[in-house]
Amino acid sequence: MARLTRHRDPLPLAAVIAIVVIGSLALIALNGSYLGLTITVGVGFAVVTVGMVLQLGYSRQLAFSQSVFMGVGAYGTGILETKYNFSSAESLLAVIALATVAAYVVGSVVTRAPGLALALATLLLPLFVFQLATYSTYLGQFSGINGVPPFWNGPTYQSELVRSGIVSVVLLGLATGLVLRVMRSGVGLQLMAMAEDERLGEAIGVNLRQRRLDVFVLGSVLAAVGGAVLASAQGLVTPDVLSESAEITLLIMLFVPGRKSVAATIIGAIVIEYLSTSTSFISTNLGMIEGIVLIVILIVEPDGAAGALSRLLGRRTDRWGGALRTGIARLRTGGGERVRETPAEAPPAAAPGNR
Amino acid sequence: MSQFLNLLAAGLTSGAIYGIFGACLAVWFRVCNVLNLAVGDFAMLGAIGTAVLVQQDHFPFLAGIAVDLLAVGAVAWVFDRVVLHLAFDRRSGGHGIVSVFFYTFGLSLVLEGLARAIFGTDVHAAPAIWNGPALTIADFHVQRAGVLVIAVAVVSGLVLWAYLHFTVSGRAASACGESVVGSRIVGINNALFRRWIFVGTAVLAALFGIVESPLTGFTFQSGPTISLIGVIAAGFAAFRRPGRAVVVGLGLGVAEAMLGGYVSTGYNDVLLYAIVFAIIILQPEVLGLSAAEA
Repeated sequence: MARLTRHRDPLPLAAVIAIVVIGSLALIALNGSYLGLTITVGVGFAVVTVGMVLQLGYSRQLAFSQSVFMGVGAYGTGILETKYNFSSAESLLAVIALATVAAYVVGSVVTRAPGLALALATLLLPLFVFQLATYSTYLGQFSGINGVPPFWNGPTYQSELVRSGIVSVVLLGLATGLVLRVMRSGVGLQLMAMAEDERLGEAIGVNLRQRRLDVFVLGSVLAAVGGAVLASAQGLVTPDVLSESAEITLLIMLFVPGRKSVAATIIGAIVIEYLSTSTSFISTNLGMIEGIVLIVILIVEPDGAAGALSRLLGRRTDRWGGALRTGIARLRTGGGERVRETPAEAPPAAAPGNR
Repeated sequence: MSQFLNLLAAGLTSGAIYGIFGACLAVWFRVCNVLNLAVGDFAMLGAIGTAVLVQQDHFPFLAGIAVDLLAVGAVAWVFDRVVLHLAFDRRSGGHGIVSVFFYTFGLSLVLEGLARAIFGTDVHAAPAIWNGPALTIADFHVQRAGVLVIAVAVVSGLVLWAYLHFTVSGRAASACGESVVGSRIVGINNALFRRWIFVGTAVLAALFGIVESPLTGFTFQSGPTISLIGVIAAGFAAFRRPGRAVVVGLGLGVAEAMLGGYVSTGYNDVLLYAIVFAIIILQPEVLGLSAAEA
């Protein structure tokens, strides 16, 4: 009797290792330069967009509340570290716990609203939370909270930047591994079925309400972790992190690189963050450039740059495969004569007069 | 009593602004099931464009308005011909949530960037169409521009409502949103309705921006907030009923003013959004969305 073996999916762990190794090496090489800071901030956004891939891209949950939870993470870190002297690790754990509870409470209410109602409800969240932050003296009103310490202190500013960047990269790696693990599990299949057709999901026994809540909570907690990374990288938190423009930036970081690809959104978030600070022309006109790119990508390839690339590579590998098959067939037939390729799906030609 | 009346006037004025953008969103959504998130940017182009043409380029006022509205209409027409035509008629773009939100979201970003590049970052306001001091009845004061804003909103809401309910063209437009294939089978040109209602609502939004700008002023960044408030008003009108969107918008404006006057001037918006949020969550059926839309 054949022994049943359980195969572990190696991809999530491989992704974690790859992100941590490549990211850490890049940050060490940049040695605390301004580019290193930009990449660390981009990593913070990437943690959020990885959660959005699961929420908006994979599960097609129309929730636009990520900037609010990013704010929960950023303000939570800022308040705990500057007002209550929490260490970075303590504040990160507290922020994750707080965001989980908040996401569970908000999500259990919000995810009752289906489709466009959910979109409408979550569009309102950034509006009133932003105003709340700007009026609250406890949250520092428009100037926010200054002096948030980095994740990992060091003897110099540069070393602090490198060390904190490495912690951020580790968090990104863990977030990516978690999201990939969910997407490639049985739960991921349930989410895919729900995204295609909720009635189909219900018919195969998916608890729609529970799954909607799970996705909302996971996406929101990752947004909070991203916010914590941003707060510690930038050293300050302002209400801008909660605003609708922050939500717009996140949506651009999701849709332009490709809303269904984790790798593309990580690269996209870092590249867009880099572009937003690279030259004055680009930073001034970034919105217009993003708008044009977004429209072009949606028309040409709705799955974003990742979709276009995969289609291009798919065509190329198809061509290479075709050439390989032809070569092998030539060798088998003696090499001299030219072999005509016939598509496998091509129907046999009808005999004349046999219609 | 006079405080109540003055708050009511202020609320109706801001509510008319919410309502008209809700109506523009609702009428176009009814035709093609797409939210026009650039509606606020068309208003911004209307207000700032007219202000610049009249005050800096010294156009006569009416000529400035006409040129500006033509330009806004042309922008909307080009966007439809270039982007929406490819996306919906040629079916080459993304659909589902992509089409509902993101084509016009992209347009909004482009218009905002163009406005920044062309008009700069200053606050602009078109000249008032109806000049003069505020109208006063006893202790009740209302600005002339406010009266005009409310009048334009109410008339526009009524006209859109009547168009959709009492004209053959309006019913054909509604049929496009109900079923693309079904409407095509009976000979309705979906693309034509989508295009002209998009252009029409863009021009209406721009006109409203011109009328309203003496009250609030516009910057290149004014569009998204207006669009968002419009989405909320349209949401309470099932995204399909322009007349109801105007009524809801007026209600939101009055509630905002009353909260500001009687509860808290600082937190009136926060309270209003929280109440609206609670209504959506606790009573989603109030929105009137069908099961398919929900």
